[in-house]
Amino acid sequence: MGEALREVLEIVRYRELLRNLVIRDIKVRYKRSVLGFAWVMLNPLFMMLILSLVFSALFKVTVENYTAYVLSGIIFWHFFSQGTSLALLGFTGNSDLLKKVYIPKVVFPLSVIISALINFILSLIPLFAILLITGTGISYYILLLPVGIMLLFIFSFGVSLILSTITVFFKDMIYIYGVLLMAWMYLTPVFYPPTIIPEQYRPLFSLNPLYHFIELFRGCLYLDSPLMYEHLIYGLVFSALALLAGWAFYHRYKDRIVYYL
Amino acid sequence: MKEFSVKLTTVSVQYRIAREKRRTVQEFMIHLAKGKKIEYEDFLALREITLEVPAGETLGIIGHNGAGKSTLLKVIARVIKPRKGEVCVKGTIAPLIELGAGFDPELTGKENIYLNASILGFSRKEIDKRFDKIVEFSELGEFIHTPLKNYSSGMVSRLGFSIATEVSTDILIIDEILAVGDEHFRKKCDERILSFKKRGTTMLLVSHDMAEIKRLCDRALWLDHGASRMCGDPFAVTDEYLKMQ
Repeated sequence: MGEALREVLEIVRYRELLRNLVIRDIKVRYKRSVLGFAWVMLNPLFMMLILSLVFSALFKVTVENYTAYVLSGIIFWHFFSQGTSLALLGFTGNSDLLKKVYIPKVVFPLSVIISALINFILSLIPLFAILLITGTGISYYILLLPVGIMLLFIFSFGVSLILSTITVFFKDMIYIYGVLLMAWMYLTPVFYPPTIIPEQYRPLFSLNPLYHFIELFRGCLYLDSPLMYEHLIYGLVFSALALLAGWAFYHRYKDRIVYYL
Repeated sequence: MKEFSVKLTTVSVQYRIAREKRRTVQEFMIHLAKGKKIEYEDFLALREITLEVPAGETLGIIGHNGAGKSTLLKVIARVIKPRKGEVCVKGTIAPLIELGAGFDPELTGKENIYLNASILGFSRKEIDKRFDKIVEFSELGEFIHTPLKNYSSGMVSRLGFSIATEVSTDILIIDEILAVGDEHFRKKCDERILSFKKRGTTMLLVSHDMAEIKRLCDRALWLDHGASRMCGDPFAVTDEYLKMQ
């Protein structure tokens, strides 16, 4: 436990590096494109446009405010999938540095999740615009939104710690996770309503952490959800579990990482 | 003897090399299913090294390729944790291992200074304070606002050297980097290293240049297949080493 605490203090000491990595990530990613940073907002909007054209015919009857539903789903999913699949390369992608300089390694996956979080928060701007334009309105639970985002962030970081550590020892994880993510997306109500899941599978469905996080997210924004507090509690439990498991897993293997890079 | 800054006690580093690299799940599973055990070859990169470097000393490390010189530096810099033995380091360390390892070609020289210094664990304030000096020593002038991908390799290493030596640390690790830059810049590097000596910085220097070892070091360590072969007066050690070639 003492060593874990020391590593946390190290991260605090290397906060300037964390900051620089996040800035670099954002700068380099959009430096070359003409519209630059605007893509953070345009990308989900275009996706929304396509998906709502395709699926509105299918779900319009069951889902109210489908535009808002699908846009919030896309933004949510984009954060999680982009964040974790980039963080998966946190150690292997920085092997040059990790083999030469001592750095608290956690800084790399953490910086990726933080820059994904910044993108996520910025893409809330078009989302709020859509909520207002379509007359969907905003829920009182909006005050809980920071909590919901924080829990999602912690959960994603925990998952990233496990993924980036595994990837050092098993490079196949990159491809396996790509497939897993695809399956995970279809198991999460990103663009379909959870009500289409048959009653008998519901308990199984609620074992998916992202189901609770996405419902919590939508509930905070506009959706009237009777299960709001249930989602919140599940979210708390899942994020705590992910962080603990991720940290324990990383901690167990961290001294071996450099040997395998 | 003065207080030590680096102390190693019977440090061994073992690289485990799988005889056939089996790094994918598929291969691993097939292998597991066949019931074979994975064969490893253990490669001892360092064998029971015991070493004490007093504060302020410049220690030269020599040996043929693969003798464990860089591994030794990595152990001291906390990059790798040895399988056996103990490493004790007093003070802050700046590694000069391969200049510019942390540079990003898309960013400008200025942005890279901040990035690279923060990789060494420095805070924004500390970097701000030294920024002008770093730029001045690197002689990059207006190029400091140009992305690094447009730099010549000499310019990159000049910048790297300037950053690592401007941020003041108690222990400096130098791994064969003095061969960079033109004659003029090499001379500046040499002068800077001598000024570090005067200031009492502990230095660990890996080099293949025996003249450099003799000129800069107080003591030399000869590593041979991961073991310490000889340690002492730089002239005696380098002479003995050259005889063996």
